[in-house]
Amino acid sequence: MIPADKNKQIQELIASLDKPALIWLKGFIEGVISKTPEDAGAVAKTSASGKKITIAYGTESGNSKKIASVFAAKAKQEGIQTKVVSLDQYRFTDLPKEEYFLTVISTQGEGEPPSSAKKFYDHIHQNGFKLPQLKYGVLALGDTSYPMFCKAGEDVDNQLGHLGAQRIIDIQRCDVDFETDAQSWFNGVLQKLSGQPSLNAPVLKPAKKSSGKKIYRGEILANINLNDRGSNKRTHHIEIASEGVQYKSGDSIGIIPHNPEHLVRAIIQHTGIDPEISFVHRDETCSAYELLHKKLNIIYLPERVVSKYAAHIQKEITPVKTGLLELLTLHPVKDASHFEAFIQQLEPTTPRLYSIASSLEKFDGEVHLTVGRDAYCVAEEQRYGLCSDLLCALKPGDTMDFYVHHNDQFRLPEENKDVIMIGPGTGIAPFRAFLAERDATGAAGRNWLFFGDQHFTTDFLYQTELQQWIETGTLHKLDLAFSRDQQQKIYVQDKIKKQGDEFYNWLQSGATVYVCGAKKMSEDVEIAILEVIRQSGKTEGADEFFNQLKESGRYLKDVY
Amino acid sequence: MSDNNISGIEKVKMASDGLRGTIKEGLADEVTGAISDGDKALVKFHGMYLQDDRDRRDERAEKKLERLYSFMIRLRLPGGFLTAKQYLATQDIAGEHTTGIIKITTRQTVQLHGLLKSHIKPTIKAFSEAKLISIATCGDINRNVICAAHPKQSPIHKEIHDYADRISQYLLPKTRAYYEIWLDEEKLADKKEEEDPLYQDRYLPRKFKVGLAIPPNNDIDVFGNDLGLIAIIENNQLKGFNVAIGGGMSSTHGNPATYPRLATVIGFVSGEERIMKTIYEIVTIQRDYGNRNDRSLARLKYTVDRLGTDWFKEEIARRTGFALEKERPFEFADRKDYYGWFQNAEGHWYYTPFVENGRIVDEEVSLKTALYEIAKTNKLNFRFTTNQNVILADISTEDKPVIEKILNKYNIISYTESVSEIRKNSMACVALNTCPLAFAEGQRYLPSLISKIEPILNKNGLEKEEIIIRMTGCPNGCARSYIAEIGFIGTTLGRYNLLLGGDHQGMRLNKLYKESLDEAAILDELNILLGIFAKERNKNESFGDFTLRKQIV
Ligand code: SRM
Ligand SMILES: Cc1cc2nc3c(=O)[nH]c(=O)nc-3n(C[C@H](O)[C@H](O)[C@H](O)COP(=O)(O)OP(=O)(O)OC[C@H]3O[C@@H](n4cnc5c(N)ncnc54)[C@H](O)[C@@H]3O)c2cc1C
Ligand SMILES: Cc1cc2nc3c(=O)[nH]c(=O)nc-3n(C[C@H](O)[C@H](O)[C@H](O)COP(=O)(O)O)c2cc1C
Ligand code: SF4
Repeated sequence: MIPADKNKQIQELIASLDKPALIWLKGFIEGVISKTPEDAGAVAKTSASGKKITIAYGTESGNSKKIASVFAAKAKQEGIQTKVVSLDQYRFTDLPKEEYFLTVISTQGEGEPPSSAKKFYDHIHQNGFKLPQLKYGVLALGDTSYPMFCKAGEDVDNQLGHLGAQRIIDIQRCDVDFETDAQSWFNGVLQKLSGQPSLNAPVLKPAKKSSGKKIYRGEILANINLNDRGSNKRTHHIEIASEGVQYKSGDSIGIIPHNPEHLVRAIIQHTGIDPEISFVHRDETCSAYELLHKKLNIIYLPERVVSKYAAHIQKEITPVKTGLLELLTLHPVKDASHFEAFIQQLEPTTPRLYSIASSLEKFDGEVHLTVGRDAYCVAEEQRYGLCSDLLCALKPGDTMDFYVHHNDQFRLPEENKDVIMIGPGTGIAPFRAFLAERDATGAAGRNWLFFGDQHFTTDFLYQTELQQWIETGTLHKLDLAFSRDQQQKIYVQDKIKKQGDEFYNWLQSGATVYVCGAKKMSEDVEIAILEVIRQSGKTEGADEFFNQLKESGRYLKDVY
Repeated sequence: MSDNNISGIEKVKMASDGLRGTIKEGLADEVTGAISDGDKALVKFHGMYLQDDRDRRDERAEKKLERLYSFMIRLRLPGGFLTAKQYLATQDIAGEHTTGIIKITTRQTVQLHGLLKSHIKPTIKAFSEAKLISIATCGDINRNVICAAHPKQSPIHKEIHDYADRISQYLLPKTRAYYEIWLDEEKLADKKEEEDPLYQDRYLPRKFKVGLAIPPNNDIDVFGNDLGLIAIIENNQLKGFNVAIGGGMSSTHGNPATYPRLATVIGFVSGEERIMKTIYEIVTIQRDYGNRNDRSLARLKYTVDRLGTDWFKEEIARRTGFALEKERPFEFADRKDYYGWFQNAEGHWYYTPFVENGRIVDEEVSLKTALYEIAKTNKLNFRFTTNQNVILADISTEDKPVIEKILNKYNIISYTESVSEIRKNSMACVALNTCPLAFAEGQRYLPSLISKIEPILNKNGLEKEEIIIRMTGCPNGCARSYIAEIGFIGTTLGRYNLLLGGDHQGMRLNKLYKESLDEAAILDELNILLGIFAKERNKNESFGDFTLRKQIV
């Protein structure tokens, strides 16, 4: 490892030094080692040390949190006083006192902040105050396959500016392959802190380049409607085979649905656009047909796109969500070229996510889904959700592309810890995965599931599997709420209250609570749980107790 | 049925704490629509069977749903009697909690199907408010007591009918379980109150059936009952009853030890007290001597054949303290229902419409709607028959036009008149899709088969022949197919054993003619047989008698 001559020199040097000198040398060498070449920020060590930074993160699926803690570790190495905090735990009163305030935040929904960052986001947007001495920087996590790429991060960056804070570094927007961009952005931060001209000031990347997701090809093994005849619902259990697919229980998959061909043809017909004419879309050239069929959202345009269209055809149009064909029919384009000129102002089709309902522990190389066929009415006409309808129509042997959307915020606890799962409707999906995994690994912790739907006889999703798990002792408690089997409606939150004391006991003994399914439901459930803690816990500090749960990661949601 | 299974049921009964078992816990279990096997056996004593829709098994399994479990509930209606109000209640309950179809059974009562576990209590509560009860209509106990249906048969019909009531009451179990579980009655402070000298904690080895016939009509098939009572009437006075024991229809495919048997007349008894005592002790003898190891050999008929009728008579005398008198002469003419209007001795009117296989539905005609409207007038009573029909009964001459108007409004009268004789004289059991024991279709299939037999009769000029056709989906013989002139007994889906040679009076079992025929084969056979019958029959000779004389069977 060390060449003979150098070795000789070292031996001589060491021999010539006394003990204190040797100790100093030891430290010196360690210092040198710590300054590994790729660790560019370390250059700043001496000058940056002593500074105070706060790294606040807003996350839904854990990426921002992960990054924040990597940053923190590194900053500490630099001797920087570092505080890491989740935005939902952050005390706004501290904001004016901050020296350096770094935000790592992802975007969710349609350009919204993660639910955990909502309060902070609203707080800084309510103006009325200034933050003159605050020095800040924002790292935005996002996904270029969504139209509002990194919107939440951008908003925070702008708004802090409006409040008079000083931006020490430009915002960095990261796609799903965020590691390197995040790295270099933070190096930039460290350089600022050390007051040095930034060597590698991060270049601003426009919202382009197809994201670095691993796309899997899946083949349908089975596709069953779990609801019995006479049900108001259609919920499909879909089994997909995909060689070497990797995921953890709690993850979901993302799918970018193609638009119905008849709709695309209708639009081509109506506008007279040449389907073969090619465009450059996110670095790749594709035909107008491909664009409309596979890439762009034409089924339900957001207001902003409608407004853009209004501007394009120079007409007054009230900006309301609508389908492209409806829009074109009501307000036609002059001619094909007129439409060509607009086509790229359409937004990409947003991915649809589906919780994975299987565990690799049980079904290696398979992904199972629980897909509710989304139904809605437009002017008395019954219509079905684009992606869910496509999925429900898939036949065994058909293939589909998807990516895995990891969610490190929704994971099983240690094997000996108890678990309470609340998942009515399709919300049961990840819990089927949880139970399968706990069954396969023989986890010692107890499992309690709350499930609900409309009718016992027609809508009891995975009934026989759950009965099996009860018999084999994997599922310790199963509480059911079938809303329409009796006069007064009964929902999972009612069952939670009914089981209040027991529920509280489980919490006391360290159980983790998981909620999955409809957002509205999760809100009612949250209220019920608070009530239970108040009632059964007989404590004033119910909210405190609940907060503790959230902070310690024992109250987890994956809702939509 | 395997032996351990049997002793199993015997154990369940004894351990059941007065038929309570864990029924309450089972009701509370929301994860399944079913109940435990033990409780399955016990709820029968409360008048219910756990069933599932057999048409839906595979499909539900694929959907990861358990079987479509539901309960069938059977009412206790001695002599098949129901007031108009009670009929209304029954139809309302059927609509609210079950399939909405009232099914008249071959034992003169009604069954409702498709009752979900969560609906049982409200259903039984609703019934009880209408003074209706389902207790002991199933299980190893005395079942619904049947009685000659048509009041026109005798001026003292009521007196005999009251016996049906009294016997039914007399042979009820003492346990309060039914009232505790379903009607939330307070638990008994002192269990002694429900000590049961008749059934003890074992109940009977098997079901027990009692029927009362009024000659000359044997509509109830008195010889198909464990205990048959034949009213002996002299110049319009009830003298007493001939006692017949050991009737039963069922046999089991491939078990030669099992067989249908007609009850044997063992004597005559008169005087209410003696009559009741005799009945009571016949039940206790079966309780003490019936086979409790093998349910397929547990019915009274096997006990009688094992110990002999002479021994049985002596044992009765030993227990009652008096001997049965010598049986009195009696004569049966037929077993049919009297369709259309009739007036009885007291001048009341009776109308019997045709109810195919006892299913009260709005199909060919809107019978269900019509009966409901008629019941609403509250000017009549309902009497179900053992031929699965209903008699609109006890209508005064003034009210007759009101009822008739409604009947005509829904074409019930013209429909009943238009129905062919064989159809009117046919019966089929429930079988698929609810009966777990069915090998083949019953009531869902017979109507279409009859439609294919009718042309054969017509072309042979036999359309007026009252040939008795009965079909059961398995050898249990719920529609008493063993005492039909033409009996069909299901062997597997779409195939039936063809039995011939029954008489019109119900005094003779039929015999196996051909095994496991499909529809085509059935029609070929009948085509030939009825062809010969038309040509070679004696005057007024019935088809059943003919097939015997010609040694076709
Ligand atoms: C509804 C009815 C047929 C009909 O279409 O009307 C019927 C239907 C059933 N009978 Fe029956 N039996 C019915 C009259 C009869 C008769 C006729 C009679 O009593 O005059 C018999 C033949 C006489 C006899 O008892 O021997 C009869 C002999 C049986 C047997 C055979 C008993 C035996 O000795 O082996 C069974 C099976 C059993 O008990 O193990 C049976 C069992 C059944 C069950 C409960 C099947 C079961 O055990 O799970 C059937 C329910 C089907 C369903 O879904 O409704 N049923 N059953 C009749 C109801 C009578 C009542 O209101 O209580
Ligand atoms: C983390 C996460 C996990 C999820 N897990 C699951 C799961 O396990 N199972 C599951 O079933 N779903 C799940 N979802 C929901 C799923 O991602 C989709 O949102 C859902 O399937 C609807 O998508 P779609 O394409 O079928 O419906 P879309 O076509 O997107 O329509 C959705 C709604 O938009 C409106 N709309 C659309 N087009 C029009 C129009 N032209 N005019 C008027 N209104 C219109 C309608 O109200 C319609 O209901 C999850 C979502 C998230 C975020
Ligand atoms: C339901 C959903 C909606 C999303 N919407 C957007 C969006 O509008 N814009 C965007 O840039 N990214 C969007 N994303 C992508 C996430 O921001 C990206 O996955 C990010 O890495 C998540 O980081 P986190 O784990 O810290 O929440 C969305 C993700 C999900 C699951
Ligand atoms: S005869 Fe057999 S098939 Fe028909 S109802 Fe009785 S048990 Fe069921």
